[in-house]
Amino acid sequence: MYTQTVAQAKEPVRNDAMYDFLQMATGVALVLFMWAHMILVASVNLDFGGGRVMNFIANFFEATYMAQLGGPVIFLVLLFHFFMAARKFPFRAEEQKAMWTHTVRFNHMDTWLWIIQAATAFIILVLGSIHLFSVLTTLPITAARSAARIQTGWWLLLYLVLLPCIELHVGIGAYRIGVKWGWIKRSTREYFHGMENKLSFVMIGIGLITLIMFYFIVTPDPTFMAKTPIPHM
Amino acid sequence: MGRQLKFNIFRYNPEDSASVPHMETFRLEETEAMTLFIALNRIREEQDPSLMFDFMCRAGICGQCAMLINGRPDLACHTKTKKLPDDITVLPMPVFKLIGDLSVDTGTWFRDMNTKVESWIHSDKVLDPAAQEERMDNVLADEIYELERCIECGCCVAACGKANMIPEKFMGAAAFNRIGRFMLDPRDQRTENEYFEVVGTDDGIFGCLGLLGCEDVCPKKLPLQDQLGMLRRKLGFSAVQHIFGKVFSSKK
Amino acid sequence: MDTFYADVLCVGAGLAGERVAVEAASRGYKVICLSLVHAKRSHSSAAQGGMQASLGNCAKGEGDNPDVHFSDTVKGSDWGCDQEVARLFAETAPLAVREMCAWGVPWNRVVPGKSMYYKGGQEFEKFEKQENEGLITARDFGGTAKWRTCYTSDGTGHTLLFTMDYQATKYGVPVHDRVEAISLIHDGENCMGVVARNLKTGKLCAYIAKATLIATGGYGRLFRETTNAVICDGSGAIIALDTGMVPIGNPEAVQFHPTGIVPTNILVTEGCRGDGGTLLDVNEERFMHIYEPAKQELASRDVVSRWMTHHIRLGKGVKSPYGDHLWLDIRHLGAKHIKTKLRDVEEICNEFLDRDPITQLIPVRPAHHYSMGGVRTNKDGAAYGLKGLYAAGEAACWDMHGFNRLGGNSLAETVVAGRIVGNKICEFLEGCSVSLKTDVIDAEVKKQEARIAAVKASTGKENAYELRNKMQDLTYDNVGIFRNAGDLTKAVEGLQEVYERSKNIGIRSNSMGGNPELTFALKLPGQVRLALCTAYAALQRTESRGAHSREDFPERNDRDWLLRTLATWKEGDTLPTLNYERPSKVWELPPGYRGYGEDKRIECEDPEVTGKK
Ligand SMILES: Cc1cc2nc3c(=O)[nH]c(=O)nc-3n(C[C@H](O)[C@H](O)[C@H](O)COP(=O)(O)OP(=O)(O)OC[C@H]3O[C@@H](n4cnc5c(N)ncnc54)[C@H](O)[C@@H]3O)c2cc1C
Ligand code: HEM
Ligand code: HEM
Ligand code: SF4
Ligand code: F3S
Ligand code: FES
Repeated sequence: MYTQTVAQAKEPVRNDAMYDFLQMATGVALVLFMWAHMILVASVNLDFGGGRVMNFIANFFEATYMAQLGGPVIFLVLLFHFFMAARKFPFRAEEQKAMWTHTVRFNHMDTWLWIIQAATAFIILVLGSIHLFSVLTTLPITAARSAARIQTGWWLLLYLVLLPCIELHVGIGAYRIGVKWGWIKRSTREYFHGMENKLSFVMIGIGLITLIMFYFIVTPDPTFMAKTPIPHM
Repeated sequence: MGRQLKFNIFRYNPEDSASVPHMETFRLEETEAMTLFIALNRIREEQDPSLMFDFMCRAGICGQCAMLINGRPDLACHTKTKKLPDDITVLPMPVFKLIGDLSVDTGTWFRDMNTKVESWIHSDKVLDPAAQEERMDNVLADEIYELERCIECGCCVAACGKANMIPEKFMGAAAFNRIGRFMLDPRDQRTENEYFEVVGTDDGIFGCLGLLGCEDVCPKKLPLQDQLGMLRRKLGFSAVQHIFGKVFSSKK
Repeated sequence: MDTFYADVLCVGAGLAGERVAVEAASRGYKVICLSLVHAKRSHSSAAQGGMQASLGNCAKGEGDNPDVHFSDTVKGSDWGCDQEVARLFAETAPLAVREMCAWGVPWNRVVPGKSMYYKGGQEFEKFEKQENEGLITARDFGGTAKWRTCYTSDGTGHTLLFTMDYQATKYGVPVHDRVEAISLIHDGENCMGVVARNLKTGKLCAYIAKATLIATGGYGRLFRETTNAVICDGSGAIIALDTGMVPIGNPEAVQFHPTGIVPTNILVTEGCRGDGGTLLDVNEERFMHIYEPAKQELASRDVVSRWMTHHIRLGKGVKSPYGDHLWLDIRHLGAKHIKTKLRDVEEICNEFLDRDPITQLIPVRPAHHYSMGGVRTNKDGAAYGLKGLYAAGEAACWDMHGFNRLGGNSLAETVVAGRIVGNKICEFLEGCSVSLKTDVIDAEVKKQEARIAAVKASTGKENAYELRNKMQDLTYDNVGIFRNAGDLTKAVEGLQEVYERSKNIGIRSNSMGGNPELTFALKLPGQVRLALCTAYAALQRTESRGAHSREDFPERNDRDWLLRTLATWKEGDTLPTLNYERPSKVWELPPGYRGYGEDKRIECEDPEVTGKK
């Protein structure tokens, strides 16, 4: 039983640590991206639906090829993040059941938050991919084109679902990264938990205003919808 | 007249093939300063002598009596009925092997855990008990004691979603706390690599989902959140450094 | 049936049991520990205060050494201890503390500089030396000339036990928990192990060993009000007593502590009174100053307990659903003091009583606390009567406590005795060649099977829990703090009746597996036998010594009673057989005045004892 391990110089296997680190790193990258993304999209509100600011920003990204390159990269990061995070997900039915029974019985805030995060993840995977595909195949981005998309078919509904999912996932994710990696301490947990709640609400709020703006105010590009490969969802 | 309390208690005796898991109701009049220790013993002595549950110190220090009280893992002996509603549901803790009714085998689980994390001072110094002891700063002694206060009750494990998902595998917050305790102790000569070997996996610290059930239920208020964070950061970043170090050296 | 073999079988995995196990395992012997609970939950974990060892590192411990510790221990015992053992103990205690230190106990350390402390409610100043910085420090405890009690905050027993179990884990010592030893296997000469009952499955199993150690702790649960845990039920002493050969030493020597809280009898520390707390009666008036004008609330444990009981008997107790009690008042010490120096007391009151000691009174009453008596051993820890049987810790009467143990001396005893006895067991094993007598083993297993079957099949109408209550009432009310011939006779007769009735216990539940009622019913008759040893020995001892206080014989009688009681139980009897022996030939410190309490003595004339030619 007792072996003198002090002198042993065996190298430990570090894969799990690396995967966990990458999960965190991709999470952080995506969080940062989503905030930047929010600036782009919500900028349409700045000139009350005129779209000049938004077009300017979008233009900048395309002119520098950041959108053309960045888009697929983001998609890959997203996929990678999914694969990393999915390692933690209970795919076996009995594990899911145990988790669900536990969560309902225990009725504990942070445990519920994880359930929300895991559930939103799958919605994001599907809806986010559709969205990404649509946007990236209809470049360049302009406010008018976005408005055209949002005012067509099921797109508004898609965003109404995707938006809260993303914001919850991002908010909870950021908070949880802080907790798991020890940046949020026992003494500061309450504060950051409050922050996380507020941030999610504010983000959803801005997103909703943006959607309303696109739906009601921004003048759509009438010829646009014909170009997209998924025109009438 | 005290309140009439209704106890819904989980009943199942795995040793009896005719037994099926079910809930049973008992009623008891509340008395002053009543705890679940008093209540459950009265139920056993006055109503059903076959009821299985565990108590030892009845003073909140041995960790023997942990169970789910209205869904929350806690020590039954320090739970006052006064703080509970009229309707009280008591279940055995999940994750651990059920012995019968409210009794679970935390002992075997914790012994395994202790073996897994090699929970002892690793030192190649030869002890001369006649010589003066090695000095230690009192502040450090207090810090170690703070982590040593774990009573191995298992509440943190029962409250952990991850441990509920993979009960045989996940090490649980108590194990991470224990590792933290030894990392802090200069008498333990283990290197970071050796600690890594023990907890640096997805069944160890990297499997923790940050659910904080452990932190919120620990009856001894151990700083589990901070210990978990410290451990993940330390081991996680050391792994990153290590792998980048390898990449660089292989390029040379 | 499962049979397990080992070189050493430790019945009990508390501090004493595991210390012996570690000693033997580290030398390569095969060891198995049995325990009623997970080893780390053994009752050793409940000790808060600390463990005595004369390191002399702290300012108020300067000049301390094993001689002073020895003399404190002998005086504390009221000259009831074995001085050879007390000497051995005092010399080994510092080594044991340092060993525990190397194994990981986070002992509190000396912090140099000026600091304040309280005594009798008053504040004093002390100054710790720079050169001692970082060495193990100590605190003050009752009955000691120096500050000698090493501690880790208020969890000394906990950290000691955890550290000990770490060592046991390191050496891979298997601890079979939830396994209860229910009888010793022996052929009248050699002990060969135990028959045990698995409390998870209810199955019997045999543990065969060359050396068997009883380290099962105290037997507080013979008394209604006790600070002891629910598993401190004396089952270790009972299996020894049941051999009819192994005697229980000084069963009448039991210690009471003044402040167990009501209802659960959890201990609140002596520090409450040490720091200036007072005791109040039903009218919220003090009373200790009437009985003990000099020392008042700060008289020794046994004295305060005695007067509290007296006062309750006068009808001045506070009525409660859990019986009469008195109040402990620490409100005047103030929130700051309570929150820093009496943190634990505050927590206990809040958690268990829902009371805030800063603004409210604490309900207390004297409770049984410690069993000085136990399985009688020689100084090597070898039990009388059977070869290959050993005992250590609170379960043993190694006899360093005599008739009163000092606070902090019993944690020290567990690790010191464990070290010494472990060593002696290894020596014994070296020259040991046992022949396993399978017929003896089989016979004992059959006997236990039959006993269990009989209880299961019994149509008796007696309820085990009722009988237990009866036994506990008899002991606590009559073999308690104050003793006299009348009460003790009542107890002996009452217990004999309970004993008779215990033969007709019928169990109501026939549930399979551990079956808590059956477990309890099996144990009860033995408990009553043990209680009878205590009551009967107390009746026979016509003197007052240490915690044994006879109202009708108030003097300590060194002329006739410098004797240790040895109680054995012959099968079929209704009373124990009592024999007496001289504590030891070594009288380093001749009997004298303890230096506290009343000085009522009948002097000893024996030159061998007094040293006077
Ligand atoms: C509240 C409280 C506070 C105390 N504070 C102090 C203090 O500050 N300082 C001090 O020096 N002392 C103190 N003491 C006393 C001291 O803690 C004990 O005397 C000592 O710890 C006993 O240790 P042990 O190893 O002999 O027995 P225990 O630790 O009681 O262990 C007994 C073991 O035997 C096992 N066992 C029992 N019966 C059986 C059986 N039939 N079969 C198998 N296993 C069995 C149990 O499971 C357990 O493992 C205190 C005691 C109490 C109650
Ligand atoms: C742009 C989109 C996304 C962002 C910004 C994002 C962000 C995050 C963040 C910050 C975390 C916390 C990381 C950690 O705990 O280490 C996280 C966790 C998680 N993510 Fe995402 N994520 C996104 C998309 C997805 C997708 C598409 C999935 C997969 C379906 C997914 C699945 C998960 C899961 C399951 C977790 C929890 C893992 C755990 O707690 O260990 N996420 N995500
Ligand atoms: C490079 C990648 C991306 C680009 C260029 C981009 C671009 C856009 C644009 C232009 C809009 C406006 C609406 C529209 O045109 O349909 C929008 C909205 C939105 N996008 Fe993206 N997007 C990207 C990635 C993502 C990802 C990965 C997600 C989440 C998984 C996401 C979620 C959303 C949501 C929820 C909205 C609605 C926003 C609101 O109402 O404020 N996007 N995005
Ligand atoms: S960490 Fe806390 S909850 Fe977990 S076992 Fe230890 S004391 Fe119990
Ligand atoms: S509850 Fe479990 S997931 Fe981690 S934070 Fe605590 S161990
Ligand atoms: S019985 Fe010991 S903690 Fe509850």
